[in-house]
Amino acid sequence: MELKVESISKKFKNDSSFQTVLKDLDFTVREGQFVTLLGPSGCGKTTLLTIIAGFQAASGGRVLINGCQVTRPGPDRGFVFQNYALFPWMTVRDNILYPMKQRKVPGKEREKRLEELLGMAQLEGKEKLFPHQLSGGMKQRVAFIRALAGKPEVLLMDEPLGAVDMQMRQSLQDDLEVLWLKDKTTVVMVTHDVDEAIYLSDRVIVMSAQEGKIVEDLPVRLPRPRDRKGMEYHKHKERLAEALRIAMGKRPESPEAKRQLCLA
Amino acid sequence: MEPLGDKARVFNSRNTRLMREKIMGGQVHKQLLYPLITIAVVFGVWQLAANHYNSEFMMPSPCKTMVTFASVVHDPEVIKNLLITLKRVLTGFFYALLIGVPLGFLMGYSKTAMRLFDPLIDSLRQIPIMAWVPLTIVWFGLGDGPTIFLITFSGVFPIIINTVAGVQNISRDYYNAARSMGGGSWSIFTKIIVPASLPDILIGSRVAVGLGWMSVI
Repeated sequence: MELKVESISKKFKNDSSFQTVLKDLDFTVREGQFVTLLGPSGCGKTTLLTIIAGFQAASGGRVLINGCQVTRPGPDRGFVFQNYALFPWMTVRDNILYPMKQRKVPGKEREKRLEELLGMAQLEGKEKLFPHQLSGGMKQRVAFIRALAGKPEVLLMDEPLGAVDMQMRQSLQDDLEVLWLKDKTTVVMVTHDVDEAIYLSDRVIVMSAQEGKIVEDLPVRLPRPRDRKGMEYHKHKERLAEALRIAMGKRPESPEAKRQLCLA
Repeated sequence: MEPLGDKARVFNSRNTRLMREKIMGGQVHKQLLYPLITIAVVFGVWQLAANHYNSEFMMPSPCKTMVTFASVVHDPEVIKNLLITLKRVLTGFFYALLIGVPLGFLMGYSKTAMRLFDPLIDSLRQIPIMAWVPLTIVWFGLGDGPTIFLITFSGVFPIIINTVAGVQNISRDYYNAARSMGGGSWSIFTKIIVPASLPDILIGSRVAVGLGWMSVI
């Protein structure tokens, strides 16, 4: 599996003028990589993700999956929505079976995969519940395994933890990491949270508020599960925070200047 | 194309939670008690008015009315007519569903269909139901025809408008989710559009049956 983003541009038309959100973006994601797109709000990271998903068309450039150009949504790219978008009129079971039914997976195999996925997400016994009867964390896990059920080549996640508070967020990040380690699908995730980006990903791409330009492409090679208090972790965090500051169009603040401020 | 929000609100109250509570009910005694209070107050005022007029022709007392009502209900002639009316309402309602729901799906989903049908439906909707009476008698003669036509006619608009609103209210995310899981058009229609808009269709139907009873006369 290889996901290739080739000089993607996106312009939106406002009444008379054009607004360029993305301009000539290039990067390649390799098999099994967990890549995070990080950036200030309005930098076009979600737009880029929906272009990869095929929900909207790019104004220029193309997205290739295993050399095939993306033109519309397809089961080769699973998508986890910010608000989960679980179908409220279906039970957990039917929600998870939906992608498999669409891909015409035979009944027996379907049941087996369902069991496997429920076990993976520790949701056994919950399959008869409706989404509104689940807690936020359970919904998130259902959304995750539903997106995996059709065995996509790549999983796209749009701020999957955007709607939860800080403490909940950290424990859900653990859940997400555990789930991902069991499956090792290629992931492209969008977030605006530096900590989340380092904790989860193998590689962080920082996008600028100006036309989505890539200001930093940082590999994270820390052993998992990651120690949030470790020295290396902290270094990565500072580097990304710096990159984010540049991305927002602010003057970079050097560690030197910061230290001087502390002393003064 | 104008947004449907306001138009739909005329017909549907959108208080589905209230409806659910009404049906499921939490406390049975409250459910019975409050309506009983209302009835008691209405009967009290009625009795006072009857005392004031003191004439059975102008304003019969509630007791007298109830007694007459009880005897009338046992009359086979009345029951027969009631059943005839019920049959007309149900037939008319059935036709309204048959026309309204597919049209509503079409108009909710396709902007072209919306542009085609919306002006026609909006203008037909404004015609007072009574204005149709002479015409329908000419068209269908003096049988069940005119009544059923009028019941269908009055019921079809709330069904169309609520179905359209129901379909338009479906979040884009559901379509995108279904398509990214490999869902085709038919699957999206049966598994997404129909169940997602069903509550609105039911609200429209409820209004339609109510209007149907009103246009029986």
